[in-house]
Amino acid sequence: MPRTQELNLNMGPQHPSTHGVFRCVITPDGETVTRVENHIGYLHRGIEKIAESKTYPQFIPYTDRMDYLCSMVYNQGYVETIEKMLGIEVPERAEYIRVIMAELSRIASHLVMVATMAIDLAGTSNWMYCFREREKILDLFEMTCGSRMTFSYMRIGGVAEDLPEEFIPACRKFINEFPEKMNEVHELLTGNEIFQARTKGIGILPPDMAVAYGVTGPNLRASGVPYDVRKNQPYSIYDRFDFKLPVRFNGDCFDRYLLRFDEMEQSCRIIEQALDSLPEGEIKGKVPKMIKIPPGEIYHQVESSKGALGFFLVSDGSNKPYRLHVRGPSFVNMGVFPELAKGWKIQDVISILASLDPVLGEVDR
Amino acid sequence: MYGEGLIKGLRVTLKHFFGPHLTQYYPEERPILPPRFHGFLAFDPENCIVCGLCQTACPNRVISLKSEKGGEDGKKRILTEYVLDFRYCMFCGLCIEACPKGCLKFTHEFEKATYHPDEISQVMFRKKVEE
Ligand code: SF4
Ligand code: SF4
Repeated sequence: MPRTQELNLNMGPQHPSTHGVFRCVITPDGETVTRVENHIGYLHRGIEKIAESKTYPQFIPYTDRMDYLCSMVYNQGYVETIEKMLGIEVPERAEYIRVIMAELSRIASHLVMVATMAIDLAGTSNWMYCFREREKILDLFEMTCGSRMTFSYMRIGGVAEDLPEEFIPACRKFINEFPEKMNEVHELLTGNEIFQARTKGIGILPPDMAVAYGVTGPNLRASGVPYDVRKNQPYSIYDRFDFKLPVRFNGDCFDRYLLRFDEMEQSCRIIEQALDSLPEGEIKGKVPKMIKIPPGEIYHQVESSKGALGFFLVSDGSNKPYRLHVRGPSFVNMGVFPELAKGWKIQDVISILASLDPVLGEVDR
Repeated sequence: MYGEGLIKGLRVTLKHFFGPHLTQYYPEERPILPPRFHGFLAFDPENCIVCGLCQTACPNRVISLKSEKGGEDGKKRILTEYVLDFRYCMFCGLCIEACPKGCLKFTHEFEKATYHPDEISQVMFRKKVEE
């Protein structure tokens, strides 16, 4: 007797819309998805374990390689953890430079999110325009620290190099031109009826579920929960800047997409203020040649473009960490994906995944 | 009206279609690199005091150096070999910061793809053996 049978559908690890090497097994019922299972680890490099065999400064380049789209914030989170543990004073100028770099990184990362979301939903031209803007940020980074992606720019106690002379005018020019360029994206993509049909009301993440799963960052704020490490537990010098915490309330893919634009706007505001009040002075504080941390443990959080990024460091008194654990925001955000994708059509799974914006380098670490 | 957004979007695309090119025609057109660009490393053996600080600073054991005792009183260490294994280099610049004599620096050279992995490690310095 013929009978129907459940089908398992593999998405990834080499699917173009899984942002790297994410794989999920979908159990569809017709077009509707009844079950999704996450399979991660294809990009696992054991970064947390590598940390145990590197001295404290030597690990800085590895933090770049977790979230390669927003690596300045990862640099910052790591060096701040160590500074907090050692009680190192960071010079004012270095703090300002760090904030400028971190916010530029955040804009670059959100641009990639908007771009990849567009291309996942077949909007190729928008992808190009977002990457054109990101290119300008990468040029700013390149003139400051020499690299376009894995910067290794921050050092324990400060930053590697001072801003070059041409940086400030170039950065101001970018900030001034940015809103207009984003209008272009809005015209091209946000107003597009097909794009709206595929994102509005899709993949709704209720606030209680978001909190229960530990979702942070823009994904949480798009569900109406105003939580941001920069505001709630200000680190570095974020308490000096006047910026709003953008919140949206529908929690669907479209809101998560729009929230990125709100965030970029606020980041521009922070950069503008930081450029205006950038003090002169040293860029590196007094740091011992050989960094040894007294036995103990510490947890430090910063806000990356994907959410709350935490470093948990245990030291046994030597010049290498005893254990370094990273709370990766993308990794935690991915946990809600099976729950979120359940009950939607297969093509909606793509837009839900794109709107969550995971970076697999950090999920797998 | 349904489709209005689509038409608006098309207008943007059209504007760019007739606009200037933004991409670079590499390799015919060479990129303009900023002075701080992290290309391949250059080594200047002249000032090297064989302290090995660059070696200890490097996270990936890229640098290997050999030395021998020599000089006037036979106590000075003299560099005999300095090899960089670029397979593992992350171009982070920690070695450059560690060097007290400023022997290492980044160049603007970035086209060093090779056909075999062994070809990429570079002997930056090797002492000539006298016949
Ligand atoms: S740039 Fe970094 S990885 Fe390369 S040799 Fe220097 S310290 Fe090692
Ligand atoms: S740190 Fe500089 S001086 Fe010391 S061994 Fe390395 S290259 Fe030579």
